[in-house]
Amino acid sequence: MKKKLKPKITVFHCINAINNCESLPIPYKDTFKLKSVKMACSSMVKDAFLLRAFEAGSDAVIVFVCPEGQCRYVEGNIRAKNRVNWVKNLLDEIEIGGRRLSIHNIANGDTEAAVRIIRQVLADINELGPNPARH
Amino acid sequence: MIVGKQKPIAEIKEIISPYKKVLVLGCGTCVKTCFAGGEDEVATLSSALRLSCKKEGKDIYIEELTVERQCEDEFIREAAIAISKNSAVLSLACGAGVQAIARRFGDVPVLPGVNTTFIGVLEKQGLFTEECLGCGDCKLAAFGGICPVTRCAKKLQNGPCGGSQNGICEVNPDTECAWQQIITRLGNLGQLDNLKKYNPPKDWRPSHAGGPRKLVREDHFI
Repeated sequence: MKKKLKPKITVFHCINAINNCESLPIPYKDTFKLKSVKMACSSMVKDAFLLRAFEAGSDAVIVFVCPEGQCRYVEGNIRAKNRVNWVKNLLDEIEIGGRRLSIHNIANGDTEAAVRIIRQVLADINELGPNPARH
Repeated sequence: MIVGKQKPIAEIKEIISPYKKVLVLGCGTCVKTCFAGGEDEVATLSSALRLSCKKEGKDIYIEELTVERQCEDEFIREAAIAISKNSAVLSLACGAGVQAIARRFGDVPVLPGVNTTFIGVLEKQGLFTEECLGCGDCKLAAFGGICPVTRCAKKLQNGPCGGSQNGICEVNPDTECAWQQIITRLGNLGQLDNLKKYNPPKDWRPSHAGGPRKLVREDHFI
């Protein structure tokens, strides 16, 4: 029987929004893999980094950024949002699915919201199925 | 600078489909500035192609490299080892870069990944506008530094057509009337008398209409 793959999520996060994603109190943590990528500002996220997370086998990629108007570096979260939207279109174009990538504004230290979003993304993966480029 | 736009992924996939090992070769000059073929775009495109091929179960090896300029032999040589390891090169340079690579490496297929669009400027972040047609006979001094050959839809040399409204071109509502701008600029410079001078019909022989052009500087020959 073919072994069912554990869903894999990569979270890119600004440390001013969420400092540590790996210690988030997410229930049933052993049922999925979570890779966290810390950034000094969400503007550091690049198109290629997001795509490479999918190349590395992620079923979904989440980007946590500060609320609009609250970026310590003025417009980092706006830049991240524009890039994520660009890559979502690219993922649709190559039929991986733009829905697998999402960006969320998180107030500083709002772990409850972060957990809620990750659980929602896990539910979405259940519906979408595994990353079609993950073999 | 030369402005270009990356081709759609589907077209690129079609172009590279006969090859199993492809070098995606970027250019770090003009096309980098217009986000079409620099190091970042090479990484993004390569990743997208790998994902797409993997999804379809196609076996492909994609290598990435960016050189400073693809239109100069001195920089192209840096790509020689990478090119020798691959069966085709997908060049993200302008058409000149693609042809320079093809000229240098005669036995390797060189494929274009970018549509070369125009000679232009970065008007603001993310917006590039065409400013020069490369006509080979620059008359900007007479027009206050604004080129009617490039920026007037009708390429008029002796004043506006009269069709513009509120400074907007009647041919394309997204374009400002070049002649409105020329008159405003000449007024600011105190050179409105320029408008009284007759500009003879444009000589298109120095332009591309006369065939491929060459520039010779014998003092630089070695």
